[in-house]
Amino acid sequence: MKLARNILAVSLAGLVLGTSLPVFAQTTLTMWSRQGSALPALVEAFNAGHETKVDLQLVPSDQMVQKYATSAAGGSAPDIIGLDLIYTPAFAAAGQLEDLSSFAKGLTYYDQLSKAHIEAGGYDGKTYGLPLLAEGSVLLWNKKLFEQAGLAPDAPLTNWAEIEAAAAKVDALGGDINGFYFAGACGGCNAFTFLPLVWASGGDIFAEGGKKATLDTPQMHDAINFYRTMVEKGYVPDGAETDNGSNWLSTFAAGNIGISQSGAFSIGTLTKEYPDVDFGITFIPGKDGNRSSFGGGDNFAVSAGHADKLPAIQEFVDFLYSVEGQTILASGGSLPTRADVAAEALKDQDPRYAIAAEAMSIGRTPSTPVYNDLINSPTGPWAQMLTEAFFGEDPDGAIATAQETMQSIIDNYGK
Amino acid sequence: MATETLTTASSPRPTRNPRRRPGRRQLVGLLFVAPALLLVVAFFVIPLGMTAWMSLHNWPLLGKSSFIGLGNYEALLADGRFWSAMRFTLYYTVVVTVVIFAVAFPLALFVERQRPLAGFYRTIYFLPVVVGFGSASLLWAWLMNVDAGLFGPALQQLGLTEKRINILSSFDATFWSVIAMVVWKTSGFTMIILMTGLQGIPTDLREAARIDGASRPQLFTRITLPLMRRTIALALILSVAGSMLAFDQFYIIAQGGPRNTTLTAVYWIFNSSFVSFRMGYGAALSMVLLVILLAISVVQLRILRTHEGI
Repeated sequence: MKLARNILAVSLAGLVLGTSLPVFAQTTLTMWSRQGSALPALVEAFNAGHETKVDLQLVPSDQMVQKYATSAAGGSAPDIIGLDLIYTPAFAAAGQLEDLSSFAKGLTYYDQLSKAHIEAGGYDGKTYGLPLLAEGSVLLWNKKLFEQAGLAPDAPLTNWAEIEAAAAKVDALGGDINGFYFAGACGGCNAFTFLPLVWASGGDIFAEGGKKATLDTPQMHDAINFYRTMVEKGYVPDGAETDNGSNWLSTFAAGNIGISQSGAFSIGTLTKEYPDVDFGITFIPGKDGNRSSFGGGDNFAVSAGHADKLPAIQEFVDFLYSVEGQTILASGGSLPTRADVAAEALKDQDPRYAIAAEAMSIGRTPSTPVYNDLINSPTGPWAQMLTEAFFGEDPDGAIATAQETMQSIIDNYGK
Repeated sequence: MATETLTTASSPRPTRNPRRRPGRRQLVGLLFVAPALLLVVAFFVIPLGMTAWMSLHNWPLLGKSSFIGLGNYEALLADGRFWSAMRFTLYYTVVVTVVIFAVAFPLALFVERQRPLAGFYRTIYFLPVVVGFGSASLLWAWLMNVDAGLFGPALQQLGLTEKRINILSSFDATFWSVIAMVVWKTSGFTMIILMTGLQGIPTDLREAARIDGASRPQLFTRITLPLMRRTIALALILSVAGSMLAFDQFYIIAQGGPRNTTLTAVYWIFNSSFVSFRMGYGAALSMVLLVILLAISVVQLRILRTHEGI
């Protein structure tokens, strides 16, 4: 009894405090995000100049979903969640997010925001996520090796035949030097770098709003053959077959790889940590030209039931998309997500960021609530198909099997 | 069984005044076991009940759950990937257990006897056991890396292989490397268990047998092995149960690869729950695994039972 009374007293005191606080204190927004340096810098700058404060907590990427699920179930979800944009449909489908459609349309610069993010942040015709951090996939080449191989070091490659020919020449330098590199056992990495090859050639892996898997297309067969040929001819180091993404960039950074693919993040990493590697950046081309990119990064969303914080969130969002906000993010390695201020935000950055930013602006993102299952999971159909198709005996069989598995996962979703 | 008889026999007045102080001794006994009971209830019985309850639901990690009765169980019967994971787990369990015993038994025989440096050897063989499975797997994942690791480059430089072999790209190489890692990591523990069993055999029995003219192999098969039945049963059950629940090593070293050939049952449960976010389905898979494990343990106990019980 006594204990119960004490608890009652404490919680009453809390209630009084809780209700009286906003009268003389500013609103504090709680926010979760993946790790990285761009967002903390933005939040720090925001907090320094505003009455409203953002309390940012960084959560390791692979724990985000579990941690958020537990908090949401216990009623302590953060006001704002910054999450890998591919998760937005899954969170929205589970009823965890506030519908931001009218909020988004109310932003005067709405039509300038990254299309890939908004596309991935949509579910059932409504907008649940808006761009926070951005990444675009690009093609990298090592200028020094190109020069040694007698290739023009400053001429960007524009189709697959050119890539293959250049890889052959660089590979012919011999020794530890290889022509091409990719992480062969990493589903997420290959969605980022391999999928644009298919897109730029006119193919896609989903149709009908993500309800139908369309892996078994001529464009997919072509793209796989393109990689397969380079593997067969020995342009790709053996380690690629089992690289789960941990050696993805470091292999290129070691300076022995002619061509690879990566994202804007690699510009910062390479220039800061590997200043000796002189690299060029260009768009990921299709089979006969054209270009595409995977628009990656993070969306922000508002937890369901936290709509009362929207005025304060508006304040933060306006700062996020301001020239100042976009510049801070750009210097932290995240590409601008608002097109009309992108050039201004990037003016003091390495010029190669501008190419990555342009790539992102044409970038696409597959939107499906089962993205994790289909694409990211190392045991999922996408990753399994690619490893088998690039290195195995039976690429056609691998594509057919993956097509079937993907469709059954999509069909079983929610059951 | 054996311990029960022992305690009742040694108590001074076992059943003399059953009515005068009803349950007092039992009450004290209950108090003594209460903490343990509480722990078991809180950390085993309740979670088990919850798992069983969850397994009857469509229970996504995010969002609302709904009752679907035996739906998950029906689905798992048709889940080819779970059953192939189960088959692989059984295969792995049989192989790894045989290898662990093949290594641990000679080691136990070796360190059991008093000899110079016996303590040193025991420590050395036991040392890998105290390394966590996670860290041991990470260490071996690095050793097995084709570029930065040890095995591939070492084999090449010793001239045993023409070019660097990528261990993780073939099933056999991955599987046997993981077996080697697990044996390195756990056979020390089995060795210690078997050693205590060996030390529990009265020396006069062995001497008597030797005087009767038993040869060394006879001594081993007729005296040592039968008297170690219980110890072997314990080591076997621990090894089998541990192997059936294998996860860390395959997750960290191979990520179920190459091409999903080293997916274990627990790996698949993890996948269903935390990659596909289907907690209810994962719970159903866990219940099935529990039943299978229980059945295997019962069979082992039956086979290894001595006439006075274990």
